[in-house]
Amino acid sequence: MSALPPENSWIAFLANSSDLAAALPTWLLAALGLVFIYGAIILPSGAIMSYLDRKLSADFQARVGPNRAGPAGMLQPLADLLKLLQKEASSAEWNWREALWLGVHTMALYSTVAVIPLSSSALLVNTDMSAFLPLWAALVLALGTMLLGFSQGSVPGWFGGVRVAAQALAGAFPALIAVICAGIHAGEFRWSTLAGAQTASPLTWTALCDPFQFIAFVVFVLGGLVMLAVPPMDAALSTQDIHGGVSSHLFGRRLSLFRLGRFYGFFLWSVIAVVIFLGAWTLPFGLAELLREQGRLWLVLALEVGWLLAKTFVLMLLVISFARVSPRGRVDQVTDFSWKVLSPFALLALIGTALWSGWGYLP
Amino acid sequence: MLETLRTDLTSWEIGPYHGALPGPMRMKLRIDGEIIISTDLETGFLHRGLEKAFELHPWPATVAYADHLDPEAAFFGELALCLAVEEISGLDCPPRAQAIRVLLSELSRISAHLGYIVKVGRAVGAETLIHYVLRDREKILDLFELLSGARYSLNFLRFGGVAADVTEGFIERVLEVAELLRARLKEYNDLFTFNHSFLLRTAGVGVITRELALQSGLTGPNARAAGLAFDARKAHPYIGFDKLDFEVPVGRGEAGRLGDAHDRFLVRLRELSQSLEILKDVAETVPEGEFSRMRIDRDFEVPNGESYARVESSRGLLGCHVVSDGGRFPARVQFRVPTSANLTLLPEIVRGLAIEDLPVVIASLDLCLAEADR
Repeated sequence: MSALPPENSWIAFLANSSDLAAALPTWLLAALGLVFIYGAIILPSGAIMSYLDRKLSADFQARVGPNRAGPAGMLQPLADLLKLLQKEASSAEWNWREALWLGVHTMALYSTVAVIPLSSSALLVNTDMSAFLPLWAALVLALGTMLLGFSQGSVPGWFGGVRVAAQALAGAFPALIAVICAGIHAGEFRWSTLAGAQTASPLTWTALCDPFQFIAFVVFVLGGLVMLAVPPMDAALSTQDIHGGVSSHLFGRRLSLFRLGRFYGFFLWSVIAVVIFLGAWTLPFGLAELLREQGRLWLVLALEVGWLLAKTFVLMLLVISFARVSPRGRVDQVTDFSWKVLSPFALLALIGTALWSGWGYLP
Repeated sequence: MLETLRTDLTSWEIGPYHGALPGPMRMKLRIDGEIIISTDLETGFLHRGLEKAFELHPWPATVAYADHLDPEAAFFGELALCLAVEEISGLDCPPRAQAIRVLLSELSRISAHLGYIVKVGRAVGAETLIHYVLRDREKILDLFELLSGARYSLNFLRFGGVAADVTEGFIERVLEVAELLRARLKEYNDLFTFNHSFLLRTAGVGVITRELALQSGLTGPNARAAGLAFDARKAHPYIGFDKLDFEVPVGRGEAGRLGDAHDRFLVRLRELSQSLEILKDVAETVPEGEFSRMRIDRDFEVPNGESYARVESSRGLLGCHVVSDGGRFPARVQFRVPTSANLTLLPEIVRGLAIEDLPVVIASLDLCLAEADR
């Protein structure tokens, strides 16, 4: 924990906020903070996104969408969750391997809650290699999903597992190069440095500041779709031939856990894309400085998190609306796309960024 | 390490119920990795003894059974039966009834082909297209409802005519729907038909060669996509199709190879626009007059004899062989259905494809197990 710069860590922020918090041990404070982030930010984001996704897709597709649970169907995600929680796995089909790997992959996945950058004052792990953590999370998700599939002992499970692994490996390479491009531009892979290289004006966002960074941004987003098997790159979870692959054997609570995990992967990836490439949490009109001078730190925190999430939601909705129209790719086409189209572009962006950023230093 | 890897073939049984299948049937696949080596088909799960049911009912009641041959385009079964019975009894159909039959035949074809677009869209995961097309097919089902009160099983034809004259405003609405669909077809094409991802999934996949089509007795849009320009409406004209001016679209292998899944999709889209032309021509010139030669009551008898009638259903050549011994009940009714040929060549064309292509190929063939099993 010594690597944490105290001024950025939300632990320090929490500890300074009240006498009671200052009296608590750091580990307890950290654990409470993580539970708070999960319960107050990630779960509601899942609900909001699922509602927006369904309602907007319904609008695009000339149908009504959820409209029964609550005003304009807004409570539908809650209703779905409650229904899934009620369902119980039948003990006759209890498969301890499946339970084990589902547990392992879920725990490994949510350990990344600790590293999500949400605002300038809500960074727990802000090391010089932070930006590579989401890649690690996506690979862990893939590994867990693959082993989950293998443990199911069925053809859809095997194929689903192998396809998840193939897609994750194919997507990881260009995504990694794209992160390196952004790091070269900012000078470091620390969240605070990556975000600090941008201001509220879109012209200074990493994605828009030079053409190579724009390529890197597109590669990062598409590479993430391939890695995480998000539609339309979801051949690994295709319902038509392998009934949803790994998820074909999951139901009830396990299925809701699995789906939430997939949403979280996509959400994490989009948050990172916004932080690295789309201006992070920097508020317009110098609001943050203004409010900090007045000592209203909580308001700054809330506004920054809200601004970041708003940008994230827009990015996710753009991806989803594209996915709704576009046919699903076959798994070999998806991996081909990643290796043969995204990777060359990623390398081009890397070389271009290196030249662009290093021009002044050349003899 | 490599020596210990298991690389032998895997068996995988799909069905009788599976999202990729058009109805209850079982596919026993032998797969090498993701590549299909061989396929065994088992059908008959939907056998209802339909042909036997014809023999157990008086003549007028058989029309309702012909509806159940193919629920997605029920009209064609009715039409084939009525044409065969009219041939034995020497009943002729008044011109107004013929025009109504042509309208229904083409509306059914359009409705079935829109359903086909939905199937293919679902197989490749193009959700938006599915909803757009279903919205438009509703318009045709509404027309059926306006005419006969039913949306699927119309039970509207009678021997020697149709059950009733058209409802007020029906003809005008047919013209409106035809106009609307013409605009929508362009929209579908822009959205989907030449979409890069869609081409990747369908071009060169599930190729039916001309020889294979001939060998297996394939007819309908699938055979035309393979280059066989056979259409029963042209080859054996019925209900006045010989007086109508329309083209028979044939596959051209634009995207991949001749007779691939994309060709089958395109041929159906082109047939849609031809059917819209026919609708327009016929709806503008529906003759006045009676809609039925005689009232068919339950004592209706068909003279001793047999006949065979062919119609071009949305899936291909639908034949109906009727035998009468002169009584109130049919002696034998047999159907020749287009799906059977598709089922025989399915194992042939999926060999060597990845299992991910299987749903696309199945959807692109437009199988109907209800008519194959009957």
